[in-house]
Amino acid sequence: MDRRVFWKVLSGSGLAALIAKTGFAANTRTTSRFLRPPGALAEDDFLDHCIRCGKCGESCPNETIKFFNFENGLSSLNTPYIVPREKPCILCMKCGEVCPTGAIKNILHDAETIMNNVKMGKAVINKDLCLSYQGKSCGVCYRACPLPDVAMTVGYMEQPTMTDACVGCGICERACIQMPQAIKVLPTTTQRAHS
Amino acid sequence: MNSVTSTANKDLAEKHIAWQRQLNKLRWLALTTVFSILILLPFLHLYQTYLAAHAYEILSPNEKIIFNVTQSLTSPFTASPESDLDNFKGTTWSGTLFGMQLSDPLAVLTNISASFTFNTSFMMTALIPVLLTLTLGRFFCGWICPATFIYELNDNLGTWLHNSLLQNSLLQKIGLPIGQLRFNQRLKYLILAICIIVTAIAGTTLVSNVYPPAVIGREIYYLIVVGGFGIGATFILITMLFDLFIARRGFCRYLCPGGALYSLLGRYRILRIKRDVTHCTDCVRCNAACQFGLDPMQDNFGQECNNCTACITTCPTDALSFTINVKDVQFQGAGHLGHQHQKQQGGRLP
Repeated sequence: MDRRVFWKVLSGSGLAALIAKTGFAANTRTTSRFLRPPGALAEDDFLDHCIRCGKCGESCPNETIKFFNFENGLSSLNTPYIVPREKPCILCMKCGEVCPTGAIKNILHDAETIMNNVKMGKAVINKDLCLSYQGKSCGVCYRACPLPDVAMTVGYMEQPTMTDACVGCGICERACIQMPQAIKVLPTTTQRAHS
Repeated sequence: MNSVTSTANKDLAEKHIAWQRQLNKLRWLALTTVFSILILLPFLHLYQTYLAAHAYEILSPNEKIIFNVTQSLTSPFTASPESDLDNFKGTTWSGTLFGMQLSDPLAVLTNISASFTFNTSFMMTALIPVLLTLTLGRFFCGWICPATFIYELNDNLGTWLHNSLLQNSLLQKIGLPIGQLRFNQRLKYLILAICIIVTAIAGTTLVSNVYPPAVIGREIYYLIVVGGFGIGATFILITMLFDLFIARRGFCRYLCPGGALYSLLGRYRILRIKRDVTHCTDCVRCNAACQFGLDPMQDNFGQECNNCTACITTCPTDALSFTINVKDVQFQGAGHLGHQHQKQQGGRLP
């Protein structure tokens, strides 16, 4: 944020504004739905701080973290991301532990701390696709949720309802037996997400 | 009197210098070690993920081989590899070695310019490299950098192509030169400045995508764990072709932003190679051996020297050696054992 103010002050007409508008630097050109690792700073700050050392992916015991090529623009080249349907985050918090720059915050591996500090996204339920809402009690997402009854509550037919405590790890999306999945994590990073 | 002191010096010099001829072997050992560690670390990571998943039974035969080999390698050193191996992560760009975080000074510099914040804990990770560079100069470039490992082998390939394979061949008839061009070595400082300004404007550490050691460490990881090279491999290939056909070791000498930073930091280094003019025969082998195109025979090292010791190893009379000096000596004249100096002496003496 400081950076933007600085450059706006420095160059009234300027090169910086031009570059920011063409999307060379900005994060507004997100085209796919992805999560940043747990504890990552807000997208803009994250791109500022990440030095692309790849240690987060190397320390991830679930091989959850993948790295961008050019799919998300030049600015996120080689930055870490997570596709929850393929491999969800198991919230081990090792990536924050190894991150040298603090682009991913170091967060204690503890349910309370994780709930307060991690916000990768929030799960959204598509009631038209969800089996439980269609009268076939399923409850797979509820069984999979690492924060059951806190992030997700279920009704008498196992119909899931999300609360604000959801951190967006995506385990429910991975677990969903519907195809396409009835529950999706909407990332906090994305401005234009697929619904 | 003079002759007595000079012979004394000679004996002293020979005693001190003899072991320095072996430094090039030591350097290759260091380069190979760093490179093989970079290859080993992704396998350790794979091993850790297999352990974390308790997945031995469902591994494919190839993965079982990886598991078994890594287990036998690590078992003498650690009882709980799943957590202990976290002490070995990352690359030379920013990594953890024996639990200690080490970062490239360029990583810290670009991080500051990209984020406009001074992250003290991150800056401290570059403290040891910076202190070593201040005293030893561009030692990282010569002794550690995984890109140097590749580029030196590439340069040897170029020399071999030039000397044996391409004589009277098609390539030579076309007139394709093997790394003949020379540019201004100060070009890389301009590139460093551009890199810093671009990261500041763009707000992302784009330098890590054009800085070979960072790229190579990452690409090795991608190859082994992800299963294929990323875009960085293309970049490395282009720089190798640039080195082969346009300028000898061109990327390191003219373009590398990290090399520029290390050169600037090592400008007032203490450890310098010095020519002993009384032993020099003016045979020019040191100049031919120097891949950075410096001029050891005329005492011209400057801040570009990366302490690679190739000239020390090549010197037939042990005239070159590491010394503790804050400044390079001025040109000392022709070597005393060379033709030119002998002629001058002969001219003056009756």
